[in-house]
Amino acid sequence: MLMNGVPVGGLSHPLEWMVKTMPDIAVLIKRVPDTIAKIIVVDGTIDLSGVKWIISPYDEYAIESALQHREATGGSVTAITLGNADCDKTLKDAKALGCDELVRLWQDGWESLDSNGVQSILAGAISDLGSEIVYCGKAAADTNAGSTGPGVAEKLGWASISNVVSVSFEEGGVEALVPVAGGQAKVGINFPCLLTIDKGPNEPRRPNVRGIMMARKAEVNLKGGQAPAATISVISKSTPPAKPPGKTYHGAENVPAVVQALRDEANVI
Amino acid sequence: MAYEGLDFYDVESLLSEEEVMIRDMVRDWVEDEVLPKIEHACREGIFPDEWRVALGEMGVLGAPLKGYGCPGLSYMAYGLICQELERGDSGLRSFASVQGSLAMYPIWEFGNEEQKEKYLPKMASGEWVGCFGLTEPDYGSNPGDMITKAEDMGDHYLLNGAKMWITNGTIADVAIVWAKLDGVIKGFIVEKDDEGFSAPEMTGKHSLKASVTSELVFQDCKIPKDRMLPDVKGLKGPFSCLNNARYGISWGAIGAAQACFHSAKEYALSRIQFDHPIASYQLVQNKLAWMLREITKAQLLAYHLGLKKDDSTWFAEQISLAKMNNVDMALEIARMARDIHGANGILDEYCIMRHMANLESVKTYEGTHDIHNLIIGKYITGIQAFTRKLD
Repeated sequence: MLMNGVPVGGLSHPLEWMVKTMPDIAVLIKRVPDTIAKIIVVDGTIDLSGVKWIISPYDEYAIESALQHREATGGSVTAITLGNADCDKTLKDAKALGCDELVRLWQDGWESLDSNGVQSILAGAISDLGSEIVYCGKAAADTNAGSTGPGVAEKLGWASISNVVSVSFEEGGVEALVPVAGGQAKVGINFPCLLTIDKGPNEPRRPNVRGIMMARKAEVNLKGGQAPAATISVISKSTPPAKPPGKTYHGAENVPAVVQALRDEANVI
Repeated sequence: MAYEGLDFYDVESLLSEEEVMIRDMVRDWVEDEVLPKIEHACREGIFPDEWRVALGEMGVLGAPLKGYGCPGLSYMAYGLICQELERGDSGLRSFASVQGSLAMYPIWEFGNEEQKEKYLPKMASGEWVGCFGLTEPDYGSNPGDMITKAEDMGDHYLLNGAKMWITNGTIADVAIVWAKLDGVIKGFIVEKDDEGFSAPEMTGKHSLKASVTSELVFQDCKIPKDRMLPDVKGLKGPFSCLNNARYGISWGAIGAAQACFHSAKEYALSRIQFDHPIASYQLVQNKLAWMLREITKAQLLAYHLGLKKDDSTWFAEQISLAKMNNVDMALEIARMARDIHGANGILDEYCIMRHMANLESVKTYEGTHDIHNLIIGKYITGIQAFTRKLD
């Protein structure tokens, strides 16, 4: 029974209703090369030495949604990533933004997981943590696959909504705004659930010195887990085909030809 | 191409993870919020108020001060903050230098408990802006001869005089003013609404255009007795503030130099003359190599001075050398970068001319280039050459 929005009766502790309405929030983040980094391919393999690493940009929006959720309802936000010790810096970046707990999933033999393996490990960790809602970016900036969020939800047996641009926080669930043909739809969803977050009106916050000082002291909780055998194998890798050379025009007499090419071939005017 | 700071000797590997995170925080903010707006701010001659708010929110004001809501960072981190701010603009770094090193620091170091509690938290958050009044129209390099005086009127002090070239003056809520009380230099905290105090903005600058520069005028300015800094007298007070600010400038100049170097490199690689990028010509490569050499030396100098600041083994002449060398280096790099940019170098499409004009001020303020040479000359010879009697 609710009175002024507050449940009454049958509670063993006077603050139990508060505890129940403060969800355990998880946010999945991925370490990716800076989206403006110059990617060098050496002998058919990507050379990532010297590349600056960042939190995948859509994951920054996911962190922002998770932090806003906590600010609206209370609770705690656990940032989770899967990767080797280099990813501790990624988690600390999340801590500097305001996440409460940091979990890194890793063990020997996880160097070449496929999507199925990644999703299984993440789903297992979320289950163990007892999270009620999970936020993640709609796609990672490196692979741009967009499979992790829905895949994790599937393995957990949870409902999920993809490409969410805005979230409002309710007791026991959320309302999510998603783009649909011709406009936007508002979708209600109960816990437990997973949302993949798109770029929306709420720009991700910046860190501040206080957050960075907290991050310095933060501990990363390392966990292993069970990964199923890979179900796919990479047959070959190749670099993108070289771009054909551009066309060069000289002299004012070629202006009509340039205009025509811009209109009919490049479709930019 | 995206900005990557030149780091030829991998100084980054010597920094703590926290210091790198703070540097990147400020770098990203400058990239996203300052650089798209700086040329407009210069044309309009304004310091955007949103930058004050953002600096407070990031928590970088008064960086190395501890307690009273201040960040409590290392001097190394403070240097890195200055470097990144000045890659944006010297005016932006000046705002932070004056707020932290010249206005907050004297309260933190020489103020009483009540003064610290009252002013420092609001200044650290950026809610209150501070300025520093030492230089006078007729007394720049020799502040000991200042005219501004304070009189003890029993229940209050009366200030009379004028200060000039005061960064942040017109927008300041709090001014740290150095004035002679019975012939002895003392520090006073003046608030913007104090009777007899005004701070008209100076106009017509070709340098530091995105920074507020003002006069401070005291005409029978009444201030309460509890606004004098109790724990300092003489030039030690202002000079100790200037040491911290000059340290920050030695890092800031690297940021301005980096901005010019980055622009010159990109321009040289893309500008085609005689069928080839000008970067492929030996004369241009010689200039770029000189820039890299000087920036690298300046980085190592600033880094080592940062270590000495953090373990309190520095002395003032070391700061003089760093300020003098690094600003001189940055100004020469700005001029050389303008040369590489050809006629394009004078346009505000590029950062070059703005940094060059700014650095002309930076070379002169907070101890002129020549005065720092005299400080080092005295260190070498034991003979002061600042003043003499002429027949």
